[in-house]
Amino acid sequence: MGATTKIGLIAIAVTVIGGGGVAFVQAQDGSAAAAAQAAPAGKSTGTNFGMGAGIQPIAFPHDIHAQTNRIDCAYCHFSAERSVDAGIPPVSTCMGCHAPGKVNVQSEAGQAEIAKLQEIWANGETIPWVRIHKVADHVKYPHMRHIQAGLDCTQCHGQIQEMGVLQEPDPTWGNGKMGWCISCHVENDVSRDCTVCHY
Amino acid sequence: MSEGIKRRDFLKVVGVGGVGAGLTGCSTEGAEKLLPYVVPPEDVTPGVATWYTSTCGGCSAGCGLWVRTREGRVVKLEGNPSHPVSGGALCQRGHASLQALYAPDRHTRPMRRVDGELQPISWDDAEALLAERIAGAAGNVLMINGAMGPSMTDLVDQFLASVGGSRIEWEGLAEAPLREATRIAWGRDVVPRYDFESSDFILSFGADFIETWVSPVEYQRAFARAAGVNGAGEKAEFVFIGPRLNLTGQNADEWVPIPVGSEAAVALGIASVIAGRRGNAGPYASVLQAYSPEAAASAAGIEAATIRELADRFQNSASVAVGPGVAGQHRNATAANLAVHILNAVAGNVGTRVRLVANAQSAAARPYGEVEGAIRSMASGGVGVVMVHGTNPVHGLPPASGFVDAFAGVPFKVSFAREPDETSAMADLILPDRHFLESWGDASPRPGLFSLQQPAMEAVPHFDTKQTGDVLLSVATRAGSPVGPATTHEHLRARWQQLHGNSGSNLDFEAWWRAALKRGSVELPIPATEAAVALRQPDVALTFDSPSLDGDGEFALVVYPSSRFGDGKHANSAWMQELPDPVSKIAWHGWVEIHPNAAERIGVGKGDVVAVASPHGSVNLPVFTYPGIREDTVAIQMGMGREQSGRYANGNGVNAMTLLPAEAEQPSGGLVHLATRVSVVPTGEVYRLATIEGSDSQSERGIAPAIHLGALGHAAEGGEEDHAEHGLEEMQLLGGFGAVEVEGDAADWPLPDTDRGDYGDPATPRWAMAIDLDKCTGCSACIVACQSENNVAFVGEDQLRMGRDLAWIRLERYYETVDASHAGPLDVRHLPMLCQHCNNAPCEPVCPVVAAYHTPDGLNGQVYNRCVGTRYCANNCPYKVRVFNWYSYADVPEPLNWQYNPDVTIRNTGIMEKCSFCVQRIREVQNRVAVEGRTVADGEVVPACQQSCPAEAIVFGNIRDASSRVATLARNERTYRVLDELINTQPAVHYLKKVTLHEVEDGAHQGASQNEPADR
Repeated sequence: MGATTKIGLIAIAVTVIGGGGVAFVQAQDGSAAAAAQAAPAGKSTGTNFGMGAGIQPIAFPHDIHAQTNRIDCAYCHFSAERSVDAGIPPVSTCMGCHAPGKVNVQSEAGQAEIAKLQEIWANGETIPWVRIHKVADHVKYPHMRHIQAGLDCTQCHGQIQEMGVLQEPDPTWGNGKMGWCISCHVENDVSRDCTVCHY
Repeated sequence: MSEGIKRRDFLKVVGVGGVGAGLTGCSTEGAEKLLPYVVPPEDVTPGVATWYTSTCGGCSAGCGLWVRTREGRVVKLEGNPSHPVSGGALCQRGHASLQALYAPDRHTRPMRRVDGELQPISWDDAEALLAERIAGAAGNVLMINGAMGPSMTDLVDQFLASVGGSRIEWEGLAEAPLREATRIAWGRDVVPRYDFESSDFILSFGADFIETWVSPVEYQRAFARAAGVNGAGEKAEFVFIGPRLNLTGQNADEWVPIPVGSEAAVALGIASVIAGRRGNAGPYASVLQAYSPEAAASAAGIEAATIRELADRFQNSASVAVGPGVAGQHRNATAANLAVHILNAVAGNVGTRVRLVANAQSAAARPYGEVEGAIRSMASGGVGVVMVHGTNPVHGLPPASGFVDAFAGVPFKVSFAREPDETSAMADLILPDRHFLESWGDASPRPGLFSLQQPAMEAVPHFDTKQTGDVLLSVATRAGSPVGPATTHEHLRARWQQLHGNSGSNLDFEAWWRAALKRGSVELPIPATEAAVALRQPDVALTFDSPSLDGDGEFALVVYPSSRFGDGKHANSAWMQELPDPVSKIAWHGWVEIHPNAAERIGVGKGDVVAVASPHGSVNLPVFTYPGIREDTVAIQMGMGREQSGRYANGNGVNAMTLLPAEAEQPSGGLVHLATRVSVVPTGEVYRLATIEGSDSQSERGIAPAIHLGALGHAAEGGEEDHAEHGLEEMQLLGGFGAVEVEGDAADWPLPDTDRGDYGDPATPRWAMAIDLDKCTGCSACIVACQSENNVAFVGEDQLRMGRDLAWIRLERYYETVDASHAGPLDVRHLPMLCQHCNNAPCEPVCPVVAAYHTPDGLNGQVYNRCVGTRYCANNCPYKVRVFNWYSYADVPEPLNWQYNPDVTIRNTGIMEKCSFCVQRIREVQNRVAVEGRTVADGEVVPACQQSCPAEAIVFGNIRDASSRVATLARNERTYRVLDELINTQPAVHYLKKVTLHEVEDGAHQGASQNEPADR
């Protein structure tokens, strides 16, 4: 093996592991923690599309954040440029703005939602967001390659900045079909090899 | 299929933990939750692995680890390339220790026995109870522990000094006779270090340094570097002397099959020839006089000429000899080790290839001798509280020792076992320890080298555990005699502060400590030792004679350490149970090895169950006929026959220790392992072996050809044998096969002027692999690494027996010449068979749904979500490397599924799978370099098998890059591709022929197979 293997995978040393929410609260792609809370295996609860307000534990308005306040997607979805996963913002990111006495939210409804957030934070808990966007487990979607290729988040996720309630942009989102992915790969003349996404 | 169900709905692929059944291509079905961090850890990026250094606790060798974690969970162990012991590799048991972390059978919480029943108890109450009982024991506290790192040893010693008590160490594979012999020979109380790498003549009198002996990863790497032919056409010669070929022995060039216990005579015979010329035997001159080659040869039943010839070779090369090992631990084992030391001494190897500095951290002095004392003390009521940590004496000691009764009589028995075992089943209080991946510690594999073990994840939340060091510190405080530090971590850092003081480093402690954690180990300057050390007059009386054996059975019984379970420690790992033993290729159950001639004599064959009886016990086992064992010897593996372990180990095989006496070898105090003769009587029952072995014969197929060392460099002159051609002629004569023309090589594919669209793009890499069979030892670490990386499921004994095992790599073992009469050279071929990623793949055109297809970068792709499970591809694969999921084997109990690699799809029922060349690793590197704006460097993509290989036999890379290592190896004169001449499959896997020191005859398999093909 050459000395150059695993560049970037340098073993990182930490002296203390532990504290707050280090392990097991991050649950993506169906980790066991998510498994414990998700629907029983084999029983689909159907699409979340059109479920409207109320399905999320906190009514997070993407429109106010991304449109009105012009916050860049990557401010919260912090790892999209460098990871296969875009990253779900940790509660501490929310609290960066919404700690008591910081950003002044005008609407009463908004204040109620932020009160929920602050309570969750005060209890050291996490927010059980209902997942809206998901590709199947046998599909690998490296976010960083797509961002690097210059794609805008809205090309796959829809006009998020206009959504008060996050919804899957059906039917433009491809209706769950691989052809939609492929058509973009054809247009841009990039690999259509199966094992680019399936392994 | 009804209208409403689409193919992809039907062929669901279920994700980790069984979430999201019925997912279609890109939908959001299933109300899955996303749980973000509350506060993100600094060093975790979701979707990107975080690596930690640590030290493997799988045995006492102290290999450095890189621990791969994803989102806070450990998913894979790899060798730490900057660690002096492991050098980047990891053995099969090291990989398996990851499964122990998530073992579903681990003790879930502290428990106390009340009225014979175990009941949960809180940690607080448990510690208070232990403190109270220790206070009440008035200093009569006994600790029985396994191998521990230096800091933990110090902590336990301080604890015992503080509360009043003593401790003994019991480690089943400790090399006590070797250590004692070193003390006798040179006054150094250590297990020496051997330098195989710079040796060109290696003699083993039985030591299994590729499997379990002292530091197997380090030694295997060194051995493969020496024994693999180098650019100058040189390779070390390896002669194995002993009654049974272990895997290490199978890698030898010559086997001198001497009777059990006669290795001292042979070693002294060789030494006497050399000393006769040099006169350097010192105080042993008179001993050597008694072992003339003739006398030694007659004691060992071999030719005197053999001994003289070995002596010539040993004297005239950079030689090294290693002792009989644990399997050869007989009643005169210290003398036998001393004989090998004398041989090394007269040949002038001491100080060069035999270094008298401590090796692996642990080799307790007088291990069984001390256990005997402890048993007496326990039996006489002298022990008030006994604590057992990291060892399992109830299973590991022969029943004749009386340990069980003595232990049962102790008023208060405490076990720190992580998992249920036979000892903890008797305990009054169980205080489950943490796994080494969850706790702090260190190791000192050799003087000056200190290796850190840090927790790579929070304790697995299914189990309420506490690191034993923390428990002891807390109990000492409660008992009113605090040790000092409050936690193991504090204690460790305090000790390392002393090391920092000795290191001469100009960094402050914090910076030095962080650097040590990042690197995984530190090396401190040590004072120069051993100028020239002369042999000393022995200070104890020793006899070099063959030892006495109990009983008058027909066969001597060899009980040898398992390369999968060690002494039984790793038996409850499904990976280890499912891994075919490298010698017998049997998985899950036990067997007894008998020479085919002996088996015929008593009228049994493979799978016939026999009763093996010694004066101390009797067991029933199926027969495995093995030409690599003497006709007067049978062998049984250690570590099986677990009764109180977990679901994967219980009931598999028998405990070989039940056949042994409980006796300490004198003067070392090691437990005697080779001490009885046994009778072998057929029972009339038949057990169908669970084996992956189709045949031990190549049947002239030229699958694993070899080349004579002398023929190297003359390939163009046609001096090389060609098995394949021979087989082809025969097939053509039979009329079923026409000649094929082999077109181009892997780098040329697809051939010029063929219209293959994307496939012809020269900018696309073409992945290929080279495997050097002259280095491959057959150790099987690659198989377990692959299982760990690729979520390869285990199937269990019954399914494996039906041929449904899912391993992506199969280690073929073919006998060419294995002769227990020393009539010919030894030639056993090992070949890791994995998907060959054929450029002209037979599996691809037969797939009706194009699930098996060729990727532009040269992979034989297998698209799980396309596969409908026709199994045509497996039927058409000439290499038999495609495996089919007959059931949902991947549905494993919590939390074993936490180990699954999130980068690799879990396969469900009805899906065909096979080696993917670790495509997820290729894509990961490609994604990374694309973001970094550069190209993939040669050697940057490392599949799991290559990463793990202790022998450094596997090389992977882009064969289109003519300067890559794999392209260079593909042009080597030893390179061939399996069956390519027959069927023009154009494999991407290139094998380099094994190099033999004997002439390899043209195409001929030396006689018929000595074994019937196994029934699959």
